[in-house]
Amino acid sequence: MSAHVSELALRYRRKTARHEVQAAVAKGAVTRVHVPDDDAKAHLVTAVLKARGEPGEELELFGESAAALAWPRREQLRARVGAVSPIVGLITNLNAWENIALPAAYHGAPSLEQVAALAHEVLAAFGAEPRRFLARIPDELGMLERKMAWFVRSLVAAPELMVFDALEDGLSYAECRHAARFETEYRARQPQGTVLYVDTKEDS
Amino acid sequence: MFQPLREIEGGIQLSLNVAARAPRLRVAPIFESFLRQVYFTGVTAATGVVLRACGLGVIIIAVMIDMLDADVDLAVKILLLLVFREIGPLVAAVVVILRTGTAVSAELAMMRVSGQTRALRYLGIDLYDYLVLPRVAGIMLATAALTLYVQFLAVLGGLVLSPFLIEASFTELTDRLFDLFAPLDFYYSVVKSLLFGFVIAVCCCWHGLNPADLTQNAVPKAVTRAVTQSALLVLLINAVFAYLVFGILFFGLVKANV
Repeated sequence: MSAHVSELALRYRRKTARHEVQAAVAKGAVTRVHVPDDDAKAHLVTAVLKARGEPGEELELFGESAAALAWPRREQLRARVGAVSPIVGLITNLNAWENIALPAAYHGAPSLEQVAALAHEVLAAFGAEPRRFLARIPDELGMLERKMAWFVRSLVAAPELMVFDALEDGLSYAECRHAARFETEYRARQPQGTVLYVDTKEDS
Repeated sequence: MFQPLREIEGGIQLSLNVAARAPRLRVAPIFESFLRQVYFTGVTAATGVVLRACGLGVIIIAVMIDMLDADVDLAVKILLLLVFREIGPLVAAVVVILRTGTAVSAELAMMRVSGQTRALRYLGIDLYDYLVLPRVAGIMLATAALTLYVQFLAVLGGLVLSPFLIEASFTELTDRLFDLFAPLDFYYSVVKSLLFGFVIAVCCCWHGLNPADLTQNAVPKAVTRAVTQSALLVLLINAVFAYLVFGILFFGLVKANV
């Protein structure tokens, strides 16, 4: 929390009548933020994903105040953030592969070959059979598998800041141990990357 | 009170957005979505339309010949003026509204309600690009193709039945049909069906993306509004189009020169 502003990947503050939420995430660090309730969590994650704070919110991403950002710059900052969050869920009429490849196919980078290689590598590391996994639609995936798909889709964009939103929600004890390896997989690909875990106080 | 105005404004904005983004159809996932829409609207609907279209031509020609005591000339004119120009495009539009309009509006409303449109935005994917453009383009193309298919089958059905009702051979009827057929008839129905497809798609996309609220209950409401308004718009366009091109109103029945 005492990190210098220029070294922060994220600084966030939201004050309401009921509570105040503050977060300061140093670049390259692993930070856990516990917020009072789901509403506060949704506000924090949404502000980071949008690179824009609502009235009453202060947000700085990678040292830049989100309030003063022009649209193209905001888009550039957004591209540096990834999230494993139900807010960025899967599209239900696309299978897992189409969901994972969609952003890359739409933006034209990275190539689909690179996406496929990454997906196979990460899914195999988690013990999933990639071909079968990727052919399934979201309704056929369990909660951990959905989170794996969100994670792989986020990894494709090589984000500098990875947000894990209530990562253990809906998972069994054994699944939580699997999910804990997301950070290791992320670190293996983004050694300088920043990790932010967001949870509500009741969950933690 | 302002809801109709909001819907008209929204529909116009959506139409302009789609027109401006047409070149984006080349982007891989958008083109795939477009092909899927053409397949769903045009190809899968076509198989079910075969018998209905043939039956339509047969019923119309049988009833009209019986009522008007028609000869070869009149039978062919009925096929051309009524079945080819007016009923064919309308039937195709009804099929598209019932099959595709309902599916598109329900799918988009469901995506909106369940937060999937929000997820797309966070992934940097423009909703007009990925959801609206391929659906509008796909439905337009498929409606035009389906219209030609319905017209061909309905006219063929009528031509096959007519020899059993009047003193004329199939060849005689076909020759007369080609004599009376003008390229304008073809262009008229193609342009009209593209327009039908466009308004159906825009109306259904708009209602799908703008449900009354973000609860599950809003999905059937969005579908109902999309379908009823699409049907009204199609009938309105049909009447205006017939008046502009041929100077006749109400599906060609009021002042049609038979």
